Amino acid sequence: MSQKPSIGVFICHCGGNISDTVDVTRVKEAIGILDQVKVSETLDYLCSNPGQEMIKNAVREKVLERVVVASCSPRMHINTFRQVMKSVGLNPYLLEIVNIREQCSWVHGDKEKATNKTIALVRAAVQRARYLEPLTPEKLKVTESVLVIGGGIAGIYSALELADKGYQVYLIERNPSIGGHMAQLSKTFPTFDCSACILTPKMVSLSHHPNVKIFTNAEPVLVEGSSGRFKVTIRVKPRYVDLYRCKACEECAEICPVEKPSSFEENLVQEKAIYIPFKQAIPNASVIDKDYCLYLTPYLAVLGPPGKRGVCARCKKNCKSDAVNFGQKDILLDLKVGAIIVSTGFSLMDPLLIGQYSFGFHPDIITNIQFDRLMLQGLHKPSTGEVPKKVAFILCVGSRSETASGRSYCCKIGCMTAIKQALLLDKAVPEADPWIFYTDVRAFGKGYEEFYAKARGHLTHFIRGRAAEVIPNGSSLMVKATDTLLGKQIEEQFDLVVLSPALVPNKGTKELANMLGIDLGPDGFFLEVHHKLKGVETKRQGIFVAGAALGPKDIHETTMEAMAAASKVATFLGRGEKSVSPEVVYLIPGRCNLCGICVNQCPTKAISKGKNEVIINPISCNGCSICIPVCPKEALDLKNTTDEQMIAQIKGIAEGEDTTPRKIAFVQKRTAYGSVDLGGQNRRSYSPEIRTIRVPSMARLGIKHILHAFAAGADGIIFVEGEDSIFNEDRMRERAMLFKKDLGKLGIHPLRLQPTTTTLPQYEKTLVLFDNFVERVKKMTPITQEKREEVKKCLESEKIIE
Amino acid sequence: MRARKLSNEKEQLVTEAKAIQIGVPKESMRDFIKEVMKMPGGEKILECIQCGSCAGGCPTIFAMDYSPMQIIKMINLGMKEKVLSSSTIWVCSLCYTCATRCPRNVDFPTLMMSLRNKAIRENLVNNCAKSNFHRYFFEVINKYGRMHVPELFVKLLDITNFNSLLRNVRLGLRLFKTGKLQLRAPKIETSWVSSMLEKTDQE
Repeated sequence: MSQKPSIGVFICHCGGNISDTVDVTRVKEAIGILDQVKVSETLDYLCSNPGQEMIKNAVREKVLERVVVASCSPRMHINTFRQVMKSVGLNPYLLEIVNIREQCSWVHGDKEKATNKTIALVRAAVQRARYLEPLTPEKLKVTESVLVIGGGIAGIYSALELADKGYQVYLIERNPSIGGHMAQLSKTFPTFDCSACILTPKMVSLSHHPNVKIFTNAEPVLVEGSSGRFKVTIRVKPRYVDLYRCKACEECAEICPVEKPSSFEENLVQEKAIYIPFKQAIPNASVIDKDYCLYLTPYLAVLGPPGKRGVCARCKKNCKSDAVNFGQKDILLDLKVGAIIVSTGFSLMDPLLIGQYSFGFHPDIITNIQFDRLMLQGLHKPSTGEVPKKVAFILCVGSRSETASGRSYCCKIGCMTAIKQALLLDKAVPEADPWIFYTDVRAFGKGYEEFYAKARGHLTHFIRGRAAEVIPNGSSLMVKATDTLLGKQIEEQFDLVVLSPALVPNKGTKELANMLGIDLGPDGFFLEVHHKLKGVETKRQGIFVAGAALGPKDIHETTMEAMAAASKVATFLGRGEKSVSPEVVYLIPGRCNLCGICVNQCPTKAISKGKNEVIINPISCNGCSICIPVCPKEALDLKNTTDEQMIAQIKGIAEGEDTTPRKIAFVQKRTAYGSVDLGGQNRRSYSPEIRTIRVPSMARLGIKHILHAFAAGADGIIFVEGEDSIFNEDRMRERAMLFKKDLGKLGIHPLRLQPTTTTLPQYEKTLVLFDNFVERVKKMTPITQEKREEVKKCLESEKIIE
Repeated sequence: MRARKLSNEKEQLVTEAKAIQIGVPKESMRDFIKEVMKMPGGEKILECIQCGSCAGGCPTIFAMDYSPMQIIKMINLGMKEKVLSSSTIWVCSLCYTCATRCPRNVDFPTLMMSLRNKAIRENLVNNCAKSNFHRYFFEVINKYGRMHVPELFVKLLDITNFNSLLRNVRLGLRLFKTGKLQLRAPKIETSWVSSMLEKTDQE
């Protein structure tokens, strides 16, 4: 490209939409005399075929290198004209569109002023066009493998889905077997499917899948690299049993002398220190609990004084396939993956925290998951082994509570689980009498309301009222509550009390979030980018979340999310190559001094420290440019919105012979610009003194740009940020405050800078602000030419205030 | 004739329905809620989800005309007169069982104390034993400058009711024996007590 590219300017009449308000011929003449402008033409409809042909012919005949189209909003026809550019062999990014319809002709009545504004806008575009660079979407190599953290139903489902798609999947699970909470359940609501029967086939097919590698007893310890090219270090804890040699005969468990409460059976039964978690466990091999094994623990408290290490070892001596290996150590493995799915699930809140239900003071007060285990063991009271008849189900234990120990959200599964268990009890025990103490029954899923109706039909007592307390009373339990619908006190004796505790994030969620660099919500669960539209994505590209790690949910929703996450991963990884938008931050070589300010500022963790300078991952970078103004060395810049281009555009828009005051509104590209366009579509008129510049985000702007604007002739600046922007309102106002201080030091009234935010439909708010701002600036003493010269000098001497 | 009878019945039903004060005008309802929210203990009044934890564990609910959760619902419906003239706000023993169990942190006992003050100010005090006790207690204090138990007894017990007198004779004798019941009224300076009480009244 030559240093002084030839530019063609094309101005659209839009069938009177523009030409009725704007004197198009005058614009054409005013622009035609500018340097480098080889062509300045007008036509009725530029977007029509003849219009496109005209542009193509002009480019071919006059050998144009840049094209400026003054027409409707770029949101409307940018792709049309980019196609035109492509068809004549020009790079689509060498096109500049000026919005003279939605943000000029439709909103201004005064022809003179509108024409002047149009000239300024087109001139600015021409200035900017001089510095445009050809850009092509980069193709980057990504690792075609996925790490799934957590082997519950969410992890299993997404791993299986991705493995079927052909990706290499690593599934890591903290426990000795995959399966998660679903493996513990008896039946599932509302269809009464046997939980193990629908889960275990999936587990088996996962373990046999050639594309899947399962690591149990494993946890991630370090995540390095960036989106598309992660390097994850995992620690595989010793199992003390060789996975491939163990035949799962369980003879070792028979001779092991130590008993411990079984965590799979929710501490309801005892198992040996060498054990298989459950019959359908994957991998189906024994595991030794280090904390209980006599050989591995120096001593056990119950045995009194510390004994010699290395006693017992009966299992090793008796194992026929010689699978027991006490010499196993922690193994650190490095996995190279392109994407990560987090499916770490939930755990139940400890009901001990809610003291009034006496949990832990009587064996017959249990949690709902313990009840499911009891159903599978053959329903009995844990205290005596009798069959319970009258059972109280107490819902919302710790949920929907604003207290220090409670959780403010709904556990979402408690109601349906209690109804399911009431129905199971009804089926299993003749003359069963289930009582459900509920606050509100929330039956919102497909078939759930019918399920609730079914339980009512089975003469289940539904008591509307949160139980006040449970009082152990010999072998029975007294529940005190109030039926809020009758206003009556209830004191009833029960055989068994089942609590529905709140669901809380699994242990280690916070540490994992720190490790991965993703956010947690106020409830402690992982935070998705957008609750409605980006439900499984995190703020870091390439890391996805599925299932109850995002918040309480049932199996149905979990599997849906698992599949959604798998699909998102497949889209993200593509076929080993990823096409990346060229509008990302890049490093100007030789300037970076590795101070690391940008690394901390980046919200998507796209910047990392290298050896001599920082490294920017174009996959992670979303072009928000928060990092650019904070760089003390000015080493960073954003492609397609470089400093040169921006300053040229600012100068072009603020300069000019006409004497009308000029305000520059910097408008965020995505939502805010659409909002201002919407004002145009509704013909909401505002002052033609307002001239807009499209920027990716207010974060792009530094004090430099603002001073340039004032030096060139602007007398007011407005920031219009979209409310959904990653650069949120607080941060924007914080930065605007700094700018205002600097302006004050230079003797420019700080109120000449006005930050605001908007959503797409809220154009009225922005436009009212435009009007008020124009009125406010009118009352101020104008900026003198000397002042502007002073600012200019300040900019030239590069004494920009930090 | 029959039609007339029916219309009479209907009219009666309508008047009855009107008597049940549910359709409180929205403005006055708002006013009362706002007033209560400014009181100590009333800050979280709109957080209540009517779960019934408070009523389930309340030890004095047998003597209340409305349960604690009903009182909160009535406040939220703006039923000012009924709330202030209820016996619940006086019967509440301020044991804080409900407040410790409330999942939404509603400080019910503190609210009850605020409502008692409000009821006295609005002259809507319920005529139950508990509220009478409070009233007579201060009457006696105001009169003598300190407690004079026999007079409080006489005020509290209905002396025209022979049975109630008889029931309390044994208690009176026991108190008399241990010297708790001094028949002679105490004689101390009372002006400071009454001025203090007046001051609190003004506030």
